[in-house]
Amino acid sequence: MTTAPDKRPAFEPPAQLLKPTRYDPDMKRPGSTVAGVVLVLLRVIAGVVWIASIALEWQKYVRELDVSYEEVISTPQIAETTLLVAVIALGVFVLSDAILAFFVLGGHNWARVVIMSFSAISITTSFLQWWDDGLEISIATTLLTVGLDILILLALSSRSAAAYARRNERP
Amino acid sequence: MTDQPRSRRYSIGLAIDWFFFVFAGVAAVWLAYLSLTETFHVGWWGVVFVLAFWVLLAYLVLPRLHRILTTIYVPDYFIGRARTSDGLLGDPVNLAFLGEAQQLHAAMAEAGWTKAEPVTFGSSWRIVTSTLTRRSYDEAPVSPLFLFGRQQDFAYQQEVDGNPAQRHHVRFWKCPEGWLLPGGSRVDWLAAGTFDTSVGLSLFTLQITHRIDADTDIERDHILQTLTAADELITVQILKDFSTGYHARNGGGDSIRTDGDLPIADVRHVPAVTR
Repeated sequence: MTTAPDKRPAFEPPAQLLKPTRYDPDMKRPGSTVAGVVLVLLRVIAGVVWIASIALEWQKYVRELDVSYEEVISTPQIAETTLLVAVIALGVFVLSDAILAFFVLGGHNWARVVIMSFSAISITTSFLQWWDDGLEISIATTLLTVGLDILILLALSSRSAAAYARRNERP
Repeated sequence: MTDQPRSRRYSIGLAIDWFFFVFAGVAAVWLAYLSLTETFHVGWWGVVFVLAFWVLLAYLVLPRLHRILTTIYVPDYFIGRARTSDGLLGDPVNLAFLGEAQQLHAAMAEAGWTKAEPVTFGSSWRIVTSTLTRRSYDEAPVSPLFLFGRQQDFAYQQEVDGNPAQRHHVRFWKCPEGWLLPGGSRVDWLAAGTFDTSVGLSLFTLQITHRIDADTDIERDHILQTLTAADELITVQILKDFSTGYHARNGGGDSIRTDGDLPIADVRHVPAVTR
């Protein structure tokens, strides 16, 4: 008998999941990429609204904030500084989100991976709080932001969005 | 036993892609669960959440789960069936053609078929409006089905009484260079022709889709009959019992019956037109 070729298994190897995307520099931007960018921009708008709502009731937030930690007693000055730092950090995050969305639209893979990582971390945090500490996730609390994060991740992780972001990579 | 070194076809970047792909699928299951439990707390607004739950499940969660699972368990070589974009088994391949693309276009146009537009946002929206208003849209796009790992090259259709829910349609795929059918016949094109009977819910993904007529032979013979009636230069040879014994379901969950014959239509003598 001649040498028989390897018998083909009845199922595809899981490594098939890691098949590279096609090299296609002229690929049209798929709907999933656009959808992901629109959702990220919604997240940016939500962030801006949040910052604006804090700014409008600045004094109320300063009064309610208690940053006492061990021996340090919270004073209005410390509370105000803390809030300022937090709002600036939030602002930087929102701004970078918007800039990254712009790069994703242009088809840059690193921006897509960074945004997906942000979303994944945020989802995991919410999930752990919900699972362990019984954090209530309802429409009145964080369902919208969690939902937005998950939809962003779904859109940007889809095969078409990945193929678009990697259209210039040769396998 | 061949002992060739197998090249690693994957990289860190692709592993990251798949991590996020699977992670997002799992997260979406959680989101669907959250939106379902939320329906019990918000009174009449619950209807909105039930709808959101269905949209999430049908269009995001189930397709992604099917995509992950079928990549592993549905073989990727020719098994006489097209596959949906989720990887599920789709319409049966029930026609083959010999000839060039332009000759095929000429033959189909002459036989009274309309070429389907590609799926875009505009054409999808037109499907919705034409369905609601019951207006005719005879170049309506057909959903993508995959063969040889590729979406159909083009598709043709015929409307029935201007009703967009019912239509004849046939998708065409160019065979890879040098590819032979099981059994050894050489053909240039494979095609899958089915008849949409109504609009309904898909069994596997719960999506709104066209239901197809179970008797795919009727549609196959209709396509052949229109072709040969329009142009006597087209000859047909039949591979008997090519796919005997399909008693299965397509990607939308419809059952399929066929006698298993594969007609090979020869359009090589049809004068080509440039369209």
